[in-house]
Amino acid sequence: MAVARKEEPGVGLAQEVALKTGNEMAALAASQINYHIMGYYPITPSTEIAEFLDEMKAEGLHQIYMIEGEGEHSAAGICYGASTAGGRVFNATSANGLMYAIEQLPVQSGTRFPMVLDLVTRTISGPLDIRGDHSDLYFAMHTGWIVLLARDPQAVYDMNIMAVRIGEHPDVMLPVIVAYDGFFTSHQKRRVQFFRDAEVVRQFVGERKQPYTTIDPRHPITVGAYMNDPDIINNKYQMKLAMEAAYERVIPEVFAEYARLSGREYSLVDLYRMEDAEVAVFLLNSAAETAKDVVDRLRAQGYKVGVISPNVLRPFPVREIQKALRNVKALVIGDRADSLGGFGGSVSHEVKSALKDDPENRTLVATRIYGLGGKEFYDDEAESFFRLGLEIARTGRVDVPYDYSDVTAGDPAVRPVQALEPLRKEEVTLGLTQVEKDEATGELKVKVAPPRALTERPKRIVSGHGACPGCGIFSGIDTFLKGIEGDVVILFQTGCGYVVSAGYPYSSHRVTFIHNLFQNGAATLGGVVDMFEERVRRGEIPSGEDITFIMVSGDGGMDIGMGSAIGAALRNHKMIILEYDNEGYMNTGSQMSYSTPIGHMTSTTHIGPAGRGKTFHHKDTPQIMAATNIPYVFTGVEAFPQDLIRKAAKAQWYAKHEGLVYGKILSACPLNWRSEDKLGTKIVETAVNCCFFPLYEVEHGKTRITYNPEEKGKRVPVTEWLKMMGKTRHLLKPEFEPELRAFEQEVERRWQRLKAKHEHPLL
Amino acid sequence: MAQVPELPKTNELGFFEIRFESIGGLGAHLAGQMLAEAGVLRLGLNGAHFSSYGSEKKGSPVKSFVRFCAPTQAVRTNSPIERPHVLVIFHERLIKDRSVLSGLYPDSTIIVNSTLSPDEMKQRLGIKSGTVGTVDALSIAVEEKTRVNTAMLGAIARALTFLDPQALRDTIRATFEHRYPHLVEANLRTFDRGYNELQLKTFAGEGEELPYVRPRPQFGYLNAPIGGIIVNPGNSIWKDLSASRSGFLPAYDRSKCIDCGQCDLVCPDMCFVWEKSTDKRGRPAMALVGIDYQYCKGCLKCVEACPVEGALTAIRETEGYAETHGVSHRWNREATTARQAV
Repeated sequence: MAVARKEEPGVGLAQEVALKTGNEMAALAASQINYHIMGYYPITPSTEIAEFLDEMKAEGLHQIYMIEGEGEHSAAGICYGASTAGGRVFNATSANGLMYAIEQLPVQSGTRFPMVLDLVTRTISGPLDIRGDHSDLYFAMHTGWIVLLARDPQAVYDMNIMAVRIGEHPDVMLPVIVAYDGFFTSHQKRRVQFFRDAEVVRQFVGERKQPYTTIDPRHPITVGAYMNDPDIINNKYQMKLAMEAAYERVIPEVFAEYARLSGREYSLVDLYRMEDAEVAVFLLNSAAETAKDVVDRLRAQGYKVGVISPNVLRPFPVREIQKALRNVKALVIGDRADSLGGFGGSVSHEVKSALKDDPENRTLVATRIYGLGGKEFYDDEAESFFRLGLEIARTGRVDVPYDYSDVTAGDPAVRPVQALEPLRKEEVTLGLTQVEKDEATGELKVKVAPPRALTERPKRIVSGHGACPGCGIFSGIDTFLKGIEGDVVILFQTGCGYVVSAGYPYSSHRVTFIHNLFQNGAATLGGVVDMFEERVRRGEIPSGEDITFIMVSGDGGMDIGMGSAIGAALRNHKMIILEYDNEGYMNTGSQMSYSTPIGHMTSTTHIGPAGRGKTFHHKDTPQIMAATNIPYVFTGVEAFPQDLIRKAAKAQWYAKHEGLVYGKILSACPLNWRSEDKLGTKIVETAVNCCFFPLYEVEHGKTRITYNPEEKGKRVPVTEWLKMMGKTRHLLKPEFEPELRAFEQEVERRWQRLKAKHEHPLL
Repeated sequence: MAQVPELPKTNELGFFEIRFESIGGLGAHLAGQMLAEAGVLRLGLNGAHFSSYGSEKKGSPVKSFVRFCAPTQAVRTNSPIERPHVLVIFHERLIKDRSVLSGLYPDSTIIVNSTLSPDEMKQRLGIKSGTVGTVDALSIAVEEKTRVNTAMLGAIARALTFLDPQALRDTIRATFEHRYPHLVEANLRTFDRGYNELQLKTFAGEGEELPYVRPRPQFGYLNAPIGGIIVNPGNSIWKDLSASRSGFLPAYDRSKCIDCGQCDLVCPDMCFVWEKSTDKRGRPAMALVGIDYQYCKGCLKCVEACPVEGALTAIRETEGYAETHGVSHRWNREATTARQAV
């Protein structure tokens, strides 16, 4: 039976026992360090760190200034800039967040500004997978950052505290990544200890001593001058020296000092029952812990086996690995990511390289790729690694040096079975909406059949998607699609609408569907449209083919994907961008987006003694898109279906004849708006009637309000809307008077401006 | 801290293991967390807690796992619980999927949110031995305006005698009192009612092990189209989402319906089944023939949107109602042979 770690904390340093996850421990460490700034962007499974920190901040438990970027690239930029200005900086990300930020990472290390980034490891897309492997970590290894590994929630806390000291040491001066396993560690509650008094942590990390900063006019510096051939090699050599200093002195010293303080000892490499092991398995992070249970079982059966697992990946602890493996006959390395075409994962190659440099080493090595995409690593799979090692040791031969573990072949006789017949052109071309251009006035005349007749239109998105009860995304999009005649190709950017409707091996999209990451959907669909047109032009596709191309995005996708959308608009691809705005990053758990209105509560804008909800006004995306001078921009809600369907018909006409269309649908999210499932339609109707979400269109630059609640005698105060949702009810309390007033005034200002535009065709 | 309780049984790694089978939104994750906190922080055991996560949201199946061990033992495994000593089923409809019962020991305890008696439930589960507990947690939650999770916790506390119920009460209080102080008393009442209203019965006799079957994908590297491409799109129609409902559904009265189509506009799940027909004057028109409850998640938006009194009404779902009152989409009537596919 595994024995729990004996805690022998230093005298007088009281530690609290708790049951916490890795992400909770990361947030706790950050709050105790009291970083100056955290720049971040939501991505599963790392997002919780920012959420917990925001919640703690709302309670007044730390002073970290939290900045949510509009994408990981900007979050990394915020962090880089902030670190040059001399304070302490923290970030957290995963998978494609790291990939989107990655060009900033060598900039940060190469210009030598320390900070800490928690990498909560997750599979890199694509296909998209939210769960964990080490494909992101294997990219991060090559960025010039120190990389510490944390195998359980306790180590997450400890490594986060030590990371600050290691990175800022004058002989190192490099940024530090603390990497731990997504979900297995980030979301698992374990018994842990932490310092009751944050002052203990603050004393341990001390003050950041930065010899120069970018905010000292009396000591100006130039940061980031370009360096060519004679110089860059020397810059890298300086970094090599820093890595060596970290390896030889700084990391062991900091680990030792922390052990005296906390009673918890870490070494560069974690060795479990390796003293006399003849067969070993090499694993990173949580999987190594699972394998230790198997070691105990096999040891009880008389096998000399052990686990070797580094606590530090950069610098790579070459000597310790060589020493631990000196007398090991067979080693099986589990790589939780492949370096495709390299015939072994990155860690395998590094371990083999370390062994090659030890002339006395005779260890036989096999690599097994395992656990990709968060596939569970059970003890029986760990045991199969040991059995493989035992076999290699017995025979003295490695028959298959590189392979995958526990993949599924599938029965070749089983093929995907058609679920639904493809829609025939005549089935979707019903003439239920008709658009004609009045050549005299240039106006479009739209005819829309009543809702009863529109039920004949076959659903392009069918039943069986996994959205929450009462989700407004699909009713809104389906209402819009009721106005679209003919064939459709649809692209969803990452978001709730995507993940609930296209989870392998299922798809709720009866028509052709594409997903791309949400900073790039507009460009991607632009490429599809242009290729379609080019192939028609070359006669490769019959000229009668006529497809309407629609990109669907959430409001979050219009933050990170704003640049791509504006680019597509300026190029004027013949397509529609349809945004469902539910006022937050609902897919990742209700973080604020830039479309979240001021004062609204989200998981990154908490309400509390020191938290007042979102601090700035909602983004006016239709006006931004209108400024690109595309032919048609509109807003709509499912509560005014005829209005929305008319706009869909117009949108289709413009996308076919002139170019890009952008439309925004306000879409209820009962889960995160904290409203009743059944009230979604009513809530978006009230959003229109309080003039928060006016229904209008901008056609060739001319604005027309298509429904004016004032003229209909339906206008209500914004409080009528706010009181319908749990995320906003606090705004009706007297103490939130300033936010409520600010919101009311902004809504009124935008409404008055809109009315002026409606009145004056030149505005 | 009082004496650390003795675990009644443990597996070969020294753990007493509890698996929750639930639907997102019923609070199983939080219940697991509270159970683990009570065991570790208040009773002095060691342990761990985590839940299975997919990308789908409220209304989708979720599993939550709690392990306990002696305080001197380390927790190292990260795997989900395959062989539970206690299985807690938060929603009766989940039993339709037999895999929820996977890995039971002959003497495992199974607690189900159900109005059935333990004898009836044993029958329903098709098990030969073990301890079966039932509690009508949904009714308790509806009456107390809470969620089923604290009622299920009460039932667990009663079934697991090594757990001091006061430790769980204290944990519930600590969980809610800071951010949701108005929910403390209602949740404590819900807990107590779950504790008191649990019916528990042990069935001795010929026990059988239900081996744990790890789900395997049907499509592997030999037969999955490359690139993750789905070549049979629209196949989500094969899914049954009825377990997403939490007690209510819309009842449809054809005699009052005016075929206005408002329900169809607001339904997020495309549940309304329309056919070509004629209107009152005999002209061709679409007519609503019913609701396909296989996909209905019970949001009741359609009831709100319906302009006619009594055409759509929210009712508490009773056993067999959906099966006898629903109308299948044409795709389900015509293409049932394709169902075995995915």
